[in-house]
Amino acid sequence: MSEDRHDIAAFLDALRAAESAGADVLNAWVAVCTLDELRGGLRAIAEREAVHAELIAGRLRDLGASCTATVNELLRVGAVTRFGSSTLSDEEKLALVLSRYPDDAAVTRPITRMMDALDGDPETRELLRLVAEGEVATIAWFRAYQRALGRRVPLPG
Amino acid sequence: MSAEAAELISLLDALQAAERAGADALERWIGSCRDPRLRGGLRVICARDRSHAALAEARLRALGGVPTATAGGELLAVCGVVGDPAVPDRTKLALLLARLAGGVEGTIANVVRTSQGDAETHALLVAIGEDDRASLRWLRDINDALDGR
Repeated sequence: MSEDRHDIAAFLDALRAAESAGADVLNAWVAVCTLDELRGGLRAIAEREAVHAELIAGRLRDLGASCTATVNELLRVGAVTRFGSSTLSDEEKLALVLSRYPDDAAVTRPITRMMDALDGDPETRELLRLVAEGEVATIAWFRAYQRALGRRVPLPG
Repeated sequence: MSAEAAELISLLDALQAAERAGADALERWIGSCRDPRLRGGLRVICARDRSHAALAEARLRALGGVPTATAGGELLAVCGVVGDPAVPDRTKLALLLARLAGGVEGTIANVVRTSQGDAETHALLVAIGEDDRASLRWLRDINDALDGR
């Protein structure tokens, strides 16, 4: 495997591990979430993260690369415990998630940067384009929910 | 069970059947698709449709329902074309775009409207609807790209 392809595979593997860990954290939150509307959104978003992880794992296999990356176990368990805890409120968890992404581009910047390097692999590039769109939709939903929560109005639909 | 809950379960059932039929057809298309750009996006849309079917089924079960619906004749006809390896990719893309623009958005919007009284289901469906809109945007973009626009 060339150095470029190795870098791409390493990026995809790290992204897969992060998406999978994200799904674990969100599912832990779903289990203790007290707000019906938030729980519904979290279910869909957790599933979206899990689907991203599966898609990237499939693509890695197609490319002849293996899935070996892991998120630091202490960090993963810490996040699952924090978001799966009833001590922290849903509002606080929401603020924690959104504090990681000060702007919408922050969530997709690493992915779009990698897409620029994927001219020779349009299949992976288009897959990542839709994964990135999913991430934007996730953050947009969290922001809209947080705003709606502040005003106590239902989400538009 | 209230009439509203029964109606919502019925719509969730129809939704899970439609999403599953769509995912099955897309899976067959991916197997014969010759364009790697198209194939990359179709993989995501197919996986999303399958996950939407699972989410809708889980929700209808949580509401006390049992999934029994199957996809309607018109949808199955579209799925037949989309899954047919003898039909060119561009024909399938045009068919899918015409159908999505014409009706499927309305279907999910109808379920979203019906779920207004059930906040959890409503939020779940809003998120599913957003996925579907993103899929449609991508299909339009790739169609334009294949046209050289």
